[in-house]
Amino acid sequence: MKLQRLLLPLIAVAALGALFVFGLLRGAPDKDIESVLLGEMAPGFQMGLYDRYHPEYGPTFDFSEYAGTPMVVNFWASWCLPCYQEAPILQEYWRQYEDSGVLFVGIHTQNRDRYAEDGRTFLSQFGLTFPNGYDPNSDISIDWGLYGVPETFFVDRNGRVLLKHIGPVTPEVMDEQLRAMLQ
Amino acid sequence: MSSVTRRTHWLRPLLAVVALLLLGAAALAQEVQLETRVFEIARQLRCPSCVSESVSDSSAPIAQQMREIIQDQLVAGRSETEILAYFQTRYGDWILLDPPKRGIHLVAWFLPIIVGVVAVAVVALLARRWLANSRKTIEATPEELARVRSQLGITRSRAEEPSREEPRTGGPD
Repeated sequence: MKLQRLLLPLIAVAALGALFVFGLLRGAPDKDIESVLLGEMAPGFQMGLYDRYHPEYGPTFDFSEYAGTPMVVNFWASWCLPCYQEAPILQEYWRQYEDSGVLFVGIHTQNRDRYAEDGRTFLSQFGLTFPNGYDPNSDISIDWGLYGVPETFFVDRNGRVLLKHIGPVTPEVMDEQLRAMLQ
Repeated sequence: MSSVTRRTHWLRPLLAVVALLLLGAAALAQEVQLETRVFEIARQLRCPSCVSESVSDSSAPIAQQMREIIQDQLVAGRSETEILAYFQTRYGDWILLDPPKRGIHLVAWFLPIIVGVVAVAVVALLARRWLANSRKTIEATPEELARVRSQLGITRSRAEEPSREEPRTGGPD
């Protein structure tokens, strides 16, 4: 009789406990949210490039000028530690693929003006040779539906977004996506 | 200069100052109203780079920029629905702190109401049963009564106890 009386509260407490544990263990649910841009045309943008890229790409990067070019669009910030982790990988793959018609673009974003200069240090530190620019007001980030940094978008030659990768890119992701983009 | 002109010549600058103050106050009121609207709309949007914070509450650069976009769009005459839709096309329904009242999102709106109604019904049912039980007379066997008495330390039943008023014995004096 006693056990019967306790059964219902026990089930309720166990259910709440299970819900709590599930909440703790499910990780970052935001990472599972797919971009609404998948399969859609990538939003165009214009962005001021860092000085070091002016000789090759000019002072402003205009997305529309590269229509028909598969693109890897990487969003980063100088304060973001995982961005330091992925920068050498991006540079390595850029070296491998720059002659195959893919363009890599780096967008320094979600930073306050006082840290804008840190972007130059970041670029020098990793010697990134693909064009990188600054999105001072996070306008481009908002248009691309960015949650945080780093995030990387893979855009096919038709200008459609194939994949949005949240977090630092890995060689596996780069291999798989670049192969798909160049097919 | 006539005396009337002399008496009123100071009125013009005073009126100009009053007019300027009124214009300034009107502009300030308009700005405050606009800012209030910006924060009202921002309160409905989730800050993309924060954890459980609205665009209104966050000081993250992206939230600041989203507030600026809201302000620009309000100034351009866009409605609240249009502004929310602008962010929805970029981030999907995720960006809205209140899930939209359609499709699977309806579960989030109606489930708490359904659970509430069921909970009230269950409590009402249980309360009725408890009340009904409390009104019932308890039938106890002599053995059960004896057990209760022994547990309570009562050795004899009240029926068995001698009356406190001693019956008068004996005849008249």
